[in-house]
Amino acid sequence: MRYISWNWFWYVLVGFIMGGGAVYLGVILKEKVIKLKWYEWILVVLGFVLFLFAAQTFIASLGEGAAQAAWLGLLFFGLPIVLIVVGVWRLVQVRRSKV
Amino acid sequence: MAKPNIRKMQYHSTVSRRDFMKFLGLGSVGMGAAAMGLDLKMPFADLDDMKSSVFSDRKLPFWVREVDEPTVEINWDEMEVFPGAFNTMFNPMIFGMEDAQKVNKIRVDKVRSDITNKTPGFSIQDHALTSASAYGWLDGKFAPPWTGPEHTMNLEGWGHTTCYTTPQELGVPRYEGTPEENSKMIRVADRIMGAADTGFVKLDERTKKLIYGDIIFEDVDEGYEDPERHVKVLPNKDLWVICSVIPQSLTMGQYTDRMSWAGANAYAYSRANVYSSRIKMFLRGLGYQQYGSGTTGIGRAVGFGVMSGLAEYCRASVMVSPQFGTSFRTVLLTVTDLPLAVTKPIDAGITEFCKTCKKCAEECPSGAINMDTEPKWPDWAPGEKPNVSRGIKGWFLDTKKCLTQMFSGEPDCSRCQVVCPFNKYDSAVMHDLVKLSISDAPALNGVIRQLDDTFGYGKQEGTSLWDWDPKDIPLFGLDSSRS
Repeated sequence: MRYISWNWFWYVLVGFIMGGGAVYLGVILKEKVIKLKWYEWILVVLGFVLFLFAAQTFIASLGEGAAQAAWLGLLFFGLPIVLIVVGVWRLVQVRRSKV
Repeated sequence: MAKPNIRKMQYHSTVSRRDFMKFLGLGSVGMGAAAMGLDLKMPFADLDDMKSSVFSDRKLPFWVREVDEPTVEINWDEMEVFPGAFNTMFNPMIFGMEDAQKVNKIRVDKVRSDITNKTPGFSIQDHALTSASAYGWLDGKFAPPWTGPEHTMNLEGWGHTTCYTTPQELGVPRYEGTPEENSKMIRVADRIMGAADTGFVKLDERTKKLIYGDIIFEDVDEGYEDPERHVKVLPNKDLWVICSVIPQSLTMGQYTDRMSWAGANAYAYSRANVYSSRIKMFLRGLGYQQYGSGTTGIGRAVGFGVMSGLAEYCRASVMVSPQFGTSFRTVLLTVTDLPLAVTKPIDAGITEFCKTCKKCAEECPSGAINMDTEPKWPDWAPGEKPNVSRGIKGWFLDTKKCLTQMFSGEPDCSRCQVVCPFNKYDSAVMHDLVKLSISDAPALNGVIRQLDDTFGYGKQEGTSLWDWDPKDIPLFGLDSSRS
């Protein structure tokens, strides 16, 4: 279907995922008593922004009937998110191992 | 259909805009700044002021700049006047009757063969839809007369005695407003009547050269048409040209089989003729003069489109709009004596992008589009090619190659339109980022062209229009994402 007339549903879903992700991150940080450095926070915020871009590109491009652009857009914005998550996690692990 | 929010409307009618702005605190910002000795140049004193601003009316995308001169270099002294609508580049008569007849025979044979052989995209129903879409355009049935349309009420018919009356007939003064108010009003009316965007050009010594040669100026109170002299006459007075973008279906142009491309542009031209009648009727109802007669009425659409800032000149020798790409036909022109606030040309980096992109030229099956990186000044003598613009530094289309391709079996090819990177729906935010880059970081233009290919744009696999779910087709084939 070229025109997703219930686009709002996907954006609400994206909102829930991002909200849930933020809450989950908060819980993990509290439980494991992790304090992120300022540059790690920047990376986390960047990750959320990239997720928003990736989701918007994917949903909107599918709506435009441009499936190839949708999947490549997801890859284009999504891959850096994976790198950010792994990078921040490694930074935290290295710091904790030193302590 | 959603009901209008009466409560909201009443609420707004009881609060003055000035009070509303005070409520927002802008007044205190101004007072605070004055107390600190700062002479802040507030763009607008209040909402009334903002409404009358041409810049707010125009609502250009954020990556588009207004400029004093167009991005295509123009030498107005060298600019030739086109003889008339029937001597412009897309009229087969520019080749002469003999060649035109030969090409037309090939075209008819090809159409017949495609229908018989059920060639995908060229079926009898595709052909019929294109005929239906073209109705009112090529035949001129929807186009208004030069000074018309005239209409008188007939009580014996479906009577509505106040319809079609002029202020003079009603015995009331004609509408009066400032040029800014008039421009805003025309924009509003244009949207209702089917124009996606509007610009305004004042006729002066330069822009008069964009008017066709069969239109002359005389010291008369009102213009007229003189069939004996084969001329149309405009009065020597202050005149403005309303330049209106008539959108074309991107859905039909981008995602369906070949034939509906032809239907898409024919339908836009047909709607342009309907729009022409309506805008002229609107101006008539306000008590102002209006001249034009549909898509062939006034002059060079590309020239006026560029001068009014609706689009930039592009490699395919037509226009690219920042919002609509090449997916519009045409910039419909109407001359009026209603004073209007002119709009400036724009720079969105489009002409510059064309130097790098070349996608339209690469995809052109006839090789009609120039592949040179840089545009050039014409190298032919005045009068030698009356159908191609002298006076601009451009990429000049080989019109004979283009038209022969279209008239010998590929009805209204339009491939250059379909593949243009600016021709997209506007839902994904990514497109805005790309356009911002094209406008402000031309060094990345080559990368953007590569990404356009990689992301699969411009070469969508067409499907048969007849296999679509009707509800997936936007009304009139026009999507709303780009408007």
